Amino acid sequence: MSDKPDDDDEWYSDSDPRVPDASAWPDGDLGFLAYHDHRDRSGPIYSDLGEGELRELERRVEQQRTPVFPIDLRKRLPLEAVWRRWRSLAMWGRSDVVDDFGRDPRATARWEWLFEFLYTKWFRVQAIGVDNIPDEGRALLVANHAGTLPYDSAMVMHAVRRDHPARRDVRPLVEDTVFHLPFLGPIMNRIGGVRADPENAERLLLKDELVAVFPEGEKGMGKLWKDRYRLQRFGRGGFVKLALRTGAPIIPVAVVGAEEAAPMLGKVTWFAKNIGIPWIPVTPTFPWFGPAGLLPLPSKWFVEFAEPIVLEYPPEAAEDRLLVNRLADQIRTQIQTMIEGLLGKRRSPLLAAFLG
Amino acid sequence: MSSPPRPGRVVAVTGACTYLGGELLRRLEEDPRYERVLALDIRPPSVTGAKIELIKLDLTQPTVDSELATLLERHQVDTFVHGAFLSHPTHAAEWAHELEDVGTMHVLNACAGVEPRRLVMISTTLVYGAHPKNPNFLTEDSELRGHRDSRFVNDKVRAERQVQRFAKEHPDVEVCILRFAPILGPTVSNMYTRFFRRPVAPVMMGHDPLMQFVHEQDAAFALQKAVESDAAGAFNIVGKGVLPYTTVLALLGRVPVPMPQLVARQVTKLLWATQLVGSPPSFLDFLLYLCVADGDKAKRELGFSPRLSIKRTILDFLGVAPEDGATDVARAQA
Repeated sequence: MSDKPDDDDEWYSDSDPRVPDASAWPDGDLGFLAYHDHRDRSGPIYSDLGEGELRELERRVEQQRTPVFPIDLRKRLPLEAVWRRWRSLAMWGRSDVVDDFGRDPRATARWEWLFEFLYTKWFRVQAIGVDNIPDEGRALLVANHAGTLPYDSAMVMHAVRRDHPARRDVRPLVEDTVFHLPFLGPIMNRIGGVRADPENAERLLLKDELVAVFPEGEKGMGKLWKDRYRLQRFGRGGFVKLALRTGAPIIPVAVVGAEEAAPMLGKVTWFAKNIGIPWIPVTPTFPWFGPAGLLPLPSKWFVEFAEPIVLEYPPEAAEDRLLVNRLADQIRTQIQTMIEGLLGKRRSPLLAAFLG
Repeated sequence: MSSPPRPGRVVAVTGACTYLGGELLRRLEEDPRYERVLALDIRPPSVTGAKIELIKLDLTQPTVDSELATLLERHQVDTFVHGAFLSHPTHAAEWAHELEDVGTMHVLNACAGVEPRRLVMISTTLVYGAHPKNPNFLTEDSELRGHRDSRFVNDKVRAERQVQRFAKEHPDVEVCILRFAPILGPTVSNMYTRFFRRPVAPVMMGHDPLMQFVHEQDAAFALQKAVESDAAGAFNIVGKGVLPYTTVLALLGRVPVPMPQLVARQVTKLLWATQLVGSPPSFLDFLLYLCVADGDKAKRELGFSPRLSIKRTILDFLGVAPEDGATDVARAQA
């Protein structure tokens, strides 16, 4: 203690051996942060310490004088406790590690209750043939699409996570119009949605993930009430090419109930382009009740997973346009048949849609 | 992947005063395989050494190409590293254009005459541009979209196109382009570090794209690898992992200010025009859409894989010590 100068700034100079790496700080002014513990400064600290103890001591010193935000800002706002609290508060409900495509495990857990409520209480989803999904390895789920908001992809995702023995995560491909919607898009991304792009899908399948595609895309979402359960064109068969290239089996999925959840009576294209959406839907509740009108009606849902179809073709077959189109249409017909089978299960056409 | 050691190599580095240039000088100085390093810049870099020779060179001068050619000829330069690019946008757009676009032309003119064995160019992943149609991982073959009205990005795109054309016309020269993700770290200074040093940051209301960074030490290591190896072509140099923009702000403890797009554009336009902020309005697109690159090719062909995760990179930029107490972040387990 006797050799300690009064000026703390000078004592904690950059040449001090106990300051591990002073040059790494953005600002050389370390005196501002100095931790004043007079007990530790006297006596030969390092002489009789082992390597591990030295490490530990260094770590503690480091912890004490670790700035939480850069020093130039600390000078301006010396409320470190407030900033520390703010940082932990800001991290609430999000994790500091997301997967390559932006799925955040903590955010997923945060929305879980909502999906569980929709799944069990609101739509009373009955999942058929979930066991057809393999326990591991890649597969491509191909489903029909309906509804103003993509509740169907959320329900397919939740069905597999909830009812499949391996609790697998499905990565639904989300069309651009939804993916770039303010608020909804980022939420979809955090809970596992990926922008519908062939490169993304291929990357996911090569990582042995379960990918759900809705080949009807925007046209499926924009289906009017009079066209309900009539499958639209299946894009350009991109999903078949994908399956051929990656060797992933295709699992056809039929979703029944999504059409009644948000029956689209009409769509307004006027002004819609200005706010970045292809049309403004007109349903019995939207836009009459404002944003609350986007909540789905409580229809009864069925989700059926068919047996996996393994395409017995080499990857080069993806270039054969005729074959691709034939396979796409074959799968489309199968899903249409599955839908009609499920619709036949319902007792009367409209009321049963809600009572189940 | 890694070349057999060739003794007596001479390396010329433009932009020796930049962070990457300085780091490269330091690393080459320590490596016995390199005989001499020419540091070319308009002012002397902070790094000095026995092998380092400082030469004042202004790439905006009209006859700098012949000057450079004589220099390369005289010193028998084996590898040319072109890193004279701006790390943050400037209001002096004309000068920036002269330096980046025309300066690259001068460098290529000199290289076309002398034909050094290897040409390494430093670029950024910003050249891909933030676009709603971008896939989650942009590969090196993706189109260089640049940005509609960002001169900062477009000058780099034009410079890179010139270098690509040069590579086609001169098959004898190994041309290697390194596209660095935004570099973060305690010492580097660029557009992103300036942006994240502010206590508040704009957020485009309802949008939250994924972001990617590379740690300054990883970036410097990649550049060193690129000078050593004989791999040709473009390489994305990216860090480990991605994080949503708002999570980055939360980790940094910055206050997000959500703004509707129209308001944000007008506000940044005003702030940029009055020179109050260092990021132009076109930068807002990078807060709206993805611009994340895939680093697999660099791993396969260059032998570079990043050591630090994005979280560790952000915390190191912030000045938070690693949890395992290691004083050298580069060795820490992130």
